[in-house]
Amino acid sequence: MSHQTELKPVISLAGVSKSFGSTRVLKEINLEVRSGEVLVLIGASGSGKSTVLRIMAGLETSDSGEVWVNAVPLHDPRRAREIRGHVGMVFQQFNLFPHKSALGNVTLALVKARKMSPADARKRAMDALERVGLADRAAHYPSQLSGGQQQRVAIARALAVEPGIMFFDEATSALDPELVGEVTEVMRGLAREGMTMVVVTHEMGFARKTADRVVFMDKGVIAEQGEPEHIFVDPANERTRQFLHRVLDH
Amino acid sequence: MSIDLLRTSLSILLQGLVATLLLSVAAIVGGTLIGLLAAVLRSFGPWGSAHVAKLYTELFRGTPVLITLMFIYFGVSYFGYAIDVFAAGAIGLSVYQGAYIAEVFRSGIESVPRGQWEVSQILGLTKAQTFTFVVLPQTGKIVLPPLVGQYLSLIKDTSIVSMIGMSELMHGGQAIVDRIGKPVEIYGLVALIYFAVCFPLSQWVRHHDRRRLT
Repeated sequence: MSHQTELKPVISLAGVSKSFGSTRVLKEINLEVRSGEVLVLIGASGSGKSTVLRIMAGLETSDSGEVWVNAVPLHDPRRAREIRGHVGMVFQQFNLFPHKSALGNVTLALVKARKMSPADARKRAMDALERVGLADRAAHYPSQLSGGQQQRVAIARALAVEPGIMFFDEATSALDPELVGEVTEVMRGLAREGMTMVVVTHEMGFARKTADRVVFMDKGVIAEQGEPEHIFVDPANERTRQFLHRVLDH
Repeated sequence: MSIDLLRTSLSILLQGLVATLLLSVAAIVGGTLIGLLAAVLRSFGPWGSAHVAKLYTELFRGTPVLITLMFIYFGVSYFGYAIDVFAAGAIGLSVYQGAYIAEVFRSGIESVPRGQWEVSQILGLTKAQTFTFVVLPQTGKIVLPPLVGQYLSLIKDTSIVSMIGMSELMHGGQAIVDRIGKPVEIYGLVALIYFAVCFPLSQWVRHHDRRRLT
């Protein structure tokens, strides 16, 4: 990949606004993510960070502004569906298919959406489960797995379609504290391999150690952004300071 | 009662039972297909079809099944066509029960969390694929007990088809009473036969409903 394409953003939000009913959750957001970058969105609940992520993933549509992801204009309803199957998303509630084994969770989209043969899908799925350290749990159903294991299966499922970008929406928030580490470890591994990642999280340790850039959102706007050292050590914005004080001091 | 009379009576009831079971199976298949279609249209159909499906369920839930049966049986002949009484009964019960079955399926579909749809969309599955491979299989456990409960009431409702002259179990009982009297004994026997068919099903529903709730 040439230096030129490295610099080209794979995600670009320009003047993006969004309201739910009469509540304006996003106000004229401008944000770009470069290929291979790990961007972490932090902020209080209701700050709009999850909505930004869901707009990038094509789960919500913006009311105004332009949203380009992987060269797909998500603001164009006729073309927005082109993004499907090309990005991955990991949810707070895992959203595993409860009626499918770990393997079945990963192969479903490969067979039905990608039209891979069951044998090829199985091979690809086992590779993905191997990547998250769960190849030996392939036959287990979600109800037989711990929360951390379920979330790792969800990551394997997302990775198996070979997404260009991975979105994480509070992927560790529903986990017992002792299970958070195994999931963030997998996420760190992905970041090291050069995956483009946008991560909404309350794990400040992850943000500080793994992020290339941290974006602090407050009341629907980007209040501050920069390298983690800058944000965590010497935030310029008073609201960032207050937020970090609250979450780091609890 | 002579042995001959008893034998004839039992043979009439047996034939009636066979007709009742055939009609039940036909209406269960028909009602389930119609109900599933109505539920899908109501949940996902384009604007017009969703409203038609809603109108359908409300209409048939709000009218007696006997009127549905009469409309079909006599209505068809009114327009100069002939309809077999079994066909009229099967269609009438299917359409009527389909309205209830649609609601059963709809509650099952709506019980599947939105996140299942969202992750499927991101993975590249179409809406139809998501419904078929992700949502519908998950509704099974939720839908099956109330669905079988609905089948139970359908089996009992087949007795109403005797009113338009179909020779099923109820009609067989009436025929015997007309000939030899003894309504208490005969209708008691008929009730016992319905009970023998329905009791195992209701026990199944009871067992699975309890499991579902615990």
